[in-house]
Amino acid sequence: MKGRLLFACALLLIIAAPALIMASGAADSEADTIKFGGVWPLGDITGEQGSKAAQLAIDEINANGGLLGRTVELVIIDSEFSPEKGASAIERLANIDKVDFFVGGMASGVHLGQIPIMKKYQKVTMWTGAASHLAEAAVGPDQDWYFHLHPWDYNQGASYVTGWNAIAEKYDEISIDRWFLAYEEGPFGSSSFEATKMLFSDLEVDGEAFQTAAAGGGDYSAVIERAKKYNPDVFIWAGYDADALPLMEQSKTLNFSPALYVGAPPGWPADFGNSPLAENVTLYGMWAPAINAVSDVSKRFSDGYVAKYGALPATYFAPLGYTAIMILAEAVEAAGTVEKDAVIAALEAIKYESPLGEIISFEPSNVISHQGIKNQKILQWQNGRQEVIWPFEFATAEPVYPFTPWGER
Amino acid sequence: MRQNKAVIGSAVGFIGVMIIILLIAKPSALIFGIQRAGLYAAIALPMALVLGIVHIVNLAHGEMMMIAAYLTYSICVAFGLDPLVAMVPTAVIMFFVGMLLFRFTIRYALKAPELNQLILTFGLAMVLSQGINLLATSQPRKLSVDYVTSSATIGNVSFGTYDFIFLAVAVIFLTGLMLFLKKTRLGKAAMAVGQNPVGAQFVGINVISTYTIIFAIASAMLGIMGAFFITKMSIFPTVGGAYTMKSFCLVAMAGIGNLPMVLLSSLVLGISESAVQSIPGGTGWSPLVFFGLIIAVILFRSYAKTAGVK
Repeated sequence: MKGRLLFACALLLIIAAPALIMASGAADSEADTIKFGGVWPLGDITGEQGSKAAQLAIDEINANGGLLGRTVELVIIDSEFSPEKGASAIERLANIDKVDFFVGGMASGVHLGQIPIMKKYQKVTMWTGAASHLAEAAVGPDQDWYFHLHPWDYNQGASYVTGWNAIAEKYDEISIDRWFLAYEEGPFGSSSFEATKMLFSDLEVDGEAFQTAAAGGGDYSAVIERAKKYNPDVFIWAGYDADALPLMEQSKTLNFSPALYVGAPPGWPADFGNSPLAENVTLYGMWAPAINAVSDVSKRFSDGYVAKYGALPATYFAPLGYTAIMILAEAVEAAGTVEKDAVIAALEAIKYESPLGEIISFEPSNVISHQGIKNQKILQWQNGRQEVIWPFEFATAEPVYPFTPWGER
Repeated sequence: MRQNKAVIGSAVGFIGVMIIILLIAKPSALIFGIQRAGLYAAIALPMALVLGIVHIVNLAHGEMMMIAAYLTYSICVAFGLDPLVAMVPTAVIMFFVGMLLFRFTIRYALKAPELNQLILTFGLAMVLSQGINLLATSQPRKLSVDYVTSSATIGNVSFGTYDFIFLAVAVIFLTGLMLFLKKTRLGKAAMAVGQNPVGAQFVGINVISTYTIIFAIASAMLGIMGAFFITKMSIFPTVGGAYTMKSFCLVAMAGIGNLPMVLLSSLVLGISESAVQSIPGGTGWSPLVFFGLIIAVILFRSYAKTAGVK
């Protein structure tokens, strides 16, 4: 009996030994890896391309020998645009994947669900999305581990005012006195309308809501008729990507061509630029492939993205995702460690030349102490490409003004 | 019957009053309303057909149209076809998709409690929209065709002319269905099955086959509508949900099995919605008007029934 027991134990040891050796090896190699945990909505183009660009940055770092001699890894989880799933993704990244940094992000609603979990773990975080000031308030002051790249909503609003005033000042023929905002009737559109009224309070501002296609609408006739009657200098619509082409088609149908036709959705349909209806539409954004002409870093990023994925990025969340990884990597390199306080100190001193054109450094915003980018850019579709028309230092084309009437296209 | 006449009379009267008011005050709202009504009716008629004959509330109705729109999109992109040409293969494919869906899922719930039927078709809706989300992402897609932006001006009123196509499709659907149900052998069999499936079986009609063909015809109609839909709207995985809801409300307002009333109900709702939206700040009120009218009609119908309207 005793002999059999000994034999069984020996057999078990023989069987288990290789597995134990491999496990300990894996644990060593895992400890050697520097891990970034990313959460994006992968079904959406912003999340899909943001995560792909972040992976591109990881590949580039590994191809250059890693970070502090260690390999880097990106663990990606899909938030599915759900605050609950976004929050549980952070839990998983912290507890199971044991990542060193949190990156990614899109949509303020999702981020509001994630912030309490992030506060629990307080890992160094480089967030690329969430523009709502409510998210900033939820993070609160004195959270030195939290770094936010995307401008907050009030930063964006202020940059639009600065941008339009600069454009009107530079180009005498451009008038921006009368504004009409067509806004989707949900919280995004309504708050855009309120913000526009407040920001441009010294100008004439009117607006009308429409039901977005994303919520079962898609008929813009009434709002276009009202805008046409108002005869604005600047017509802005604040809806979603699903509204973009149908709205342009219905504007053409009703022969509505204001002098400045501006779209302000969070993202554009990937093939919008291919439509002749897109020509001369002005938009807000942070990056476009045209910036490659004025920024070597942008060109390097863009070429790398095309080489890896076979197509140009269609959203600025791609260079933002890339930037989030690269800026953390540069800080880790400068700190010589992944230890939290050292990385935070390095990030506070950083001046990172980003593919977005700007040199990013962190300074306080209204609530948090580490805000990265504060400006959006004003762009315009010209010959199927997004061209930057403001800030003038990144301008890649002169604005086409007025918006070409439909009958002359 | 008399109760139906009362409802139809009220609807016609309401439409008449609205037309007069809008012609005087806001003619463009009347045109937009009629165009919108055409879209609603053309999408709701297949649901009314299925509900009237098969007695199933298909909560995957809008999602099936969404699938058809994606099919049209794929065919157009792959073969460079116009969506109105791609409509033909889409309708044929959707006919067989509908047939398969019915044979492998819905037929097993025919005798189940209504709640189970609802859950089944709701589940199908989820599978279809999530499936498309996985395959094609949530990125909206749209086919741009020049003729969509054709327009006309009468006096100082400009309007698109293409959107009248939805009203034409609705009228063709309605006329075709009425002729099919009243003049063809299969249609008469379907009417018999719809009114009394047990009796129809006794006289030798294959009930399940009839249900299958009716469901497949409704799916083919959704195939046609999917092709028209993508000429006008962007498509994305969840685009169908709102149209399931609107179609169901229209069918409920029209009364089960009452196909002509679907068109009339669509006119009431389309014109009312458009009238409300033409008032500054009125957009937020349009869902309230939409559902308020439906509640009013259903209450009126119940009242008429209990009070025995003559």
